[in-house]
Amino acid sequence: MKAHRLTKFAALAILATFSGVASASAQTKTFTISWWGYNGDKMKANIIEPFKKICGCDIVFETGNNADRLNKLKLRDGKGVDVIYLSDSFSQLGVAQGLFQEVDASKIPNLSEIYELGRNPQGKYGPAYTIGRVGLVYDSAKVDPAITSWADLWRADMKSSLSLPGITTTAGPMVVLQAGKHAGVDAYEDSEKAFEAISELKPNVVKNYNTGSELVNLISTGEVRVALAQDFTLASMQAAVKTMTWATLKEGDIATLNMVNIPKGSENVELAHQFINFVLSKEVQQKEAEQGVDAPINSKVELSPEQAKMWTYGADQVSKLGRIDYAKLNDAKTDWIDQWNEVFGK
Amino acid sequence: MKRFAKWGLTMPATIAVVVALVIPVLLTIATTFGEPKGAFSTYTAFFNSGFRTNILYRTLRIALITTAISLVIGFLTAYVIARMPGRLKSIAIIAAVFPLLTGVVVRSFAWLIILGKNGIVNDTLMSLGIISEPLSMLYTEGSVIVAMVYLFVPLMILTLTGVLEGVPREVVEASTSLGATPIATFFQVILPLAVPGLIVGAVLVFTGSFTSYATPQLLGGEQMMMMGTLLYQRAMVTFDWVGASTIAAIMVVITIAVVTIMSRMARRLNPMAV
Amino acid sequence: MTTRIHPVLGAFAALVFLFLLAPLVIIVGASLSDTSYLTFPPQGLTLRWFANIFEISAFRNTAITSFQVAILGTALSLLMGIPAAYALNRYRVELPKWLSTLFVLPILVPEIVFGFSLLKSITIGFGLPVYPSLILGHALLVLPYSVRVVGASLAAFDFSVEEAAISLGCPPLKTFLTVVLPNIRAGVIAAFILAFITSINDVSISVFLTGPGISTLPIQILAHMEQFFDPTIASVSVLLMLVTVGVMAIVEATLGLTFLTK
Repeated sequence: MKAHRLTKFAALAILATFSGVASASAQTKTFTISWWGYNGDKMKANIIEPFKKICGCDIVFETGNNADRLNKLKLRDGKGVDVIYLSDSFSQLGVAQGLFQEVDASKIPNLSEIYELGRNPQGKYGPAYTIGRVGLVYDSAKVDPAITSWADLWRADMKSSLSLPGITTTAGPMVVLQAGKHAGVDAYEDSEKAFEAISELKPNVVKNYNTGSELVNLISTGEVRVALAQDFTLASMQAAVKTMTWATLKEGDIATLNMVNIPKGSENVELAHQFINFVLSKEVQQKEAEQGVDAPINSKVELSPEQAKMWTYGADQVSKLGRIDYAKLNDAKTDWIDQWNEVFGK
Repeated sequence: MKRFAKWGLTMPATIAVVVALVIPVLLTIATTFGEPKGAFSTYTAFFNSGFRTNILYRTLRIALITTAISLVIGFLTAYVIARMPGRLKSIAIIAAVFPLLTGVVVRSFAWLIILGKNGIVNDTLMSLGIISEPLSMLYTEGSVIVAMVYLFVPLMILTLTGVLEGVPREVVEASTSLGATPIATFFQVILPLAVPGLIVGAVLVFTGSFTSYATPQLLGGEQMMMMGTLLYQRAMVTFDWVGASTIAAIMVVITIAVVTIMSRMARRLNPMAV
Repeated sequence: MTTRIHPVLGAFAALVFLFLLAPLVIIVGASLSDTSYLTFPPQGLTLRWFANIFEISAFRNTAITSFQVAILGTALSLLMGIPAAYALNRYRVELPKWLSTLFVLPILVPEIVFGFSLLKSITIGFGLPVYPSLILGHALLVLPYSVRVVGASLAAFDFSVEEAAISLGCPPLKTFLTVVLPNIRAGVIAAFILAFITSINDVSISVFLTGPGISTLPIQILAHMEQFFDPTIASVSVLLMLVTVGVMAIVEATLGLTFLTK
């Protein structure tokens, strides 16, 4: 009988715990933002607090990386959050899976102030709110002659000195595209040839990275001296190795965009439009850029050369960036992952 | 009364596992049999790929080696800890727990510093003149195993210290007073009594290392891909939950088989082992 | 059991501790380095990466959530697990063998699939709010430690002692608390430590079970690391170690020096 009492006690304890926390999490009307979660305090000061005043609502966040949050949004059938921040390739996945609603451009007047490439890169869905680039970095003290072309990755003196982004990262598939170009084919049409070129690259690769911190560790410990990377990692690499240099490539860098979308199950569609408009405004973009949070996509933002140094900034730079068709890329990705695994898994 | 106790006591845990784990996971795995190409098409596809079966063998091999090494190291260390005087024992147990408190990224950074091209081991060996060129120790099966052993030895130590303390002192003393050498006492008295604990430790370490994905990814790279990494790619990158569940189902079946074999072997050594 | 330790064995154990602790020296060093990236040996000394943890509000908030979830989840798992471990050992012959395998399932099923399935069934299917789902998920995740580690200690327990107490008129629950529990204390504490640490470090389950407004520290750390590559992550590890030492010291001061042992 005592055992019975013990289990009963256990059951009661469980119930008490659950009812206690359940009532604590009951909420009034709120605006929910799904995003990565870094730089939270700056974002709160620049965007959230001012926006709270505009909307008169509570704001809560869902945090996590692209894949986590998009997966969850899909499981919840597009419900649960009002706006979602995603990088362009994941945003395109969400579009393809029908998780977002089209935005009403007339409710986002600030769209006209942002660079053309960010307005509707994925159809009538959410715009980009920041812009970045993918290119090559190298240690100018150890790499001679300087890197000036994507083709330099295949140079013989690059043996055991390279780190590529893993195929599952944002920049990973760009390796395949560049390898295709190197082999003189369109990687979407003839991925075999592209992957032959990647096989040729393999002796040059020390290890591929999956996160920015992994890349910075590889650079700072001297394991690698050349990498294909996103621009936001550069400052940390330079802090570790002063001679790390962003290569000026004759073919140009590749643009990456971060998008903000309205899920189809959003319960505050009007507010969501208002929020996006606010995020694109010159004031917000100016502050975010000055504080080193995000590169501006609003063309009216003005930065000093020192502030601009770390960003993809100005009409001139933006116009030189190569664009990627993520709809095509995502379709090809599953096969590419298998082929990539075959090359690097051996 | 007894009838009630024996089922009643296990009931809360059983219900929780069945309702919140077995049924949901079975429902997820059930989706793998609903493919248009046939109920087992995703499984035949997996086993027809030499690349994937290679990953499976590698994962099995790494997990078994990790388990074996952790068992030996963990058991001997726990044996020493169990015999330490009170305070030292507490300190030793706390120290053994520390590695578990480190995040995977900093931990792999530490191994980069130790095993890397410009790392401590290479520097030491070069300055001693033992080698003239740095060894490539990272991104090998060896580095993955070292990092996993590092992570699982604490678990083994914690599990076994409690078990070894439970070995009644009288039994050990009786054995010695009857003239058994310490080594004989160790192998014939203490080891058999520790078998239940060894099995628990082995099961925890095997399942833990078989399903891990962050450590192999950071210390093995793509050359040392394991089942966990493959599953992660499927689920979180391509959103292919059917493919991910297929891998999961294969992993579950293999782990249950290995765990069952381990328990059978243990029961031969000590019929009291669960 | 205290008999002398063979010197070779002692030396071996010392080497094992060197192996376990050497990487920690690197992590501690890196956490103090006055550089914006991880490096060892540290260049310059600073505590700002520690200050960073307290200054970033997301770290503070999620640390509280993580501790709550780890404590409640671990407690729940022990409440379910200890009775189960007891029954599995006490009625070993009568209970089916598969029961003990059942309780290992939470660590046997790959965590991502477990988390995914839990979200689909418990949170979305049954509509359980985020916070209780998160606790339930963690309780399940660590249940194997509660059942198996405690069970391993119980395996060495001589149940005839308990029967003697009961036959002398001691009620079963009291017998369990006063006769059985003290004998398996080391196992329960080991289970608690392993469960707590597993829960507080967990990423894969939490990724699915967290939701709007609720996040955990490891997820927040990963989020920080998407953009920053500074030693904050190392200082979080060191801080967790300090907290552990602190908690242990308090327990030692209040419960006595040999709390981890019998």
